[in-house]
Amino acid sequence: MESATGSSPSPEVAAALHRLRSTLARLKAELERAQEDGAAPPLGRLQGDVEEALALLREVERAALGLVSVLVVDDDARLAELTARGLRRMGFDSDSTDAFREPRPGEVVVFDLGLYSGLDEAGRSALRALRPIVVTGATDPGSRALATSLNATDYLVKPVELEDLAAAIRRRMAETSR
Amino acid sequence: MTKLLVVDDEPRTAELTAALLRRAGYMVEIAASGSDALASVRSSSPDLMLLDYEMPDMEAPEVLDSLRSGADRIAFPVIILTGARHAAGDQVLGIERGATDYIVKGTDRQVLLARVRGALRDRAPETRLIACGRLRIDMASGEAWLGERGLKLERRPQLMLQLLAGRPGEVVGREELLERVWGTNYAGFEHSVEQAAHQIRRALAEPGWIETVRGIGYRFVAQP
Repeated sequence: MESATGSSPSPEVAAALHRLRSTLARLKAELERAQEDGAAPPLGRLQGDVEEALALLREVERAALGLVSVLVVDDDARLAELTARGLRRMGFDSDSTDAFREPRPGEVVVFDLGLYSGLDEAGRSALRALRPIVVTGATDPGSRALATSLNATDYLVKPVELEDLAAAIRRRMAETSR
Repeated sequence: MTKLLVVDDEPRTAELTAALLRRAGYMVEIAASGSDALASVRSSSPDLMLLDYEMPDMEAPEVLDSLRSGADRIAFPVIILTGARHAAGDQVLGIERGATDYIVKGTDRQVLLARVRGALRDRAPETRLIACGRLRIDMASGEAWLGERGLKLERRPQLMLQLLAGRPGEVVGREELLERVWGTNYAGFEHSVEQAAHQIRRALAEPGWIETVRGIGYRFVAQP
């Protein structure tokens, strides 16, 4: 039987919910003030608030539904999007980009080594901290060493089968939750 | 011009989505319900449909089922717009009924446009290998072979060959090639189309496969 008080959410969900409510309250207050003053609402700030609220909602959803978020980074934008779509069709919450960006909280990064040379030292060390899954077009030992230096949890050679990529993502998730 | 159908029972959502897509250069029609959508598909055969998951008269899976006759695949890509994310491992809503992709509402507009472009580009996502006589193209890796000989092609010529070979015998216009291969409708790129055609012909190294249709575009003709 469920208790009358419900189960308490995880600390991450509670924190994200708290911030979501604060952001929405701020948005409401801005709109009320603009209406009272008969002034134009501060569009830039309101837009920022809405984006923040959506990002927080995503965090809540991720924690509450156990979403697995994936960011596919490949210099071939078309291939990145095709891979991300394939992963979405398999039930992952995935996005794609053709230039490395700071991932969202909890996002697993699939990184194409083709972009390595374009990264500065800050980018490389950010990537190491994320423990990416590395994908490469080349089988030479140099690229495997590069993957190791990036602290990669898995190393896959193109063309990558979606099933293999999904398995690598699941291994990566299992490792995190341990 | 590429024709899209936006289906949403909430008029403001439908209009805002349509406006975004029109600005991106698409022709957009709106349908306000599932049954409206089915009527629009029959009367104006869109190239892609953006379908709201939750509507009062029917939900997206019902619309998808009606679009399919028997076990046939739906003839054009359908992207589901949904307010609900699904739990990991759950079958994605609508995907098992023939939808191509889904977008969670509130997703960045650039992402929405990229997914629409992606779905249009790969109109037959299940076909991984195109085979036209001796020419074979692996859609997943982009590799192409004529007989046993691998063809060396840069990305754009490879995409162009893929597009032409996917519709053998059909004339594909320069504008469509520009939009689908180069992602632009800027006519200043036309010489790129010609260069790509030149590279394809050189790689094939046999006459006849790629025909120029003067003033219009190109046609793929499989050679014995």
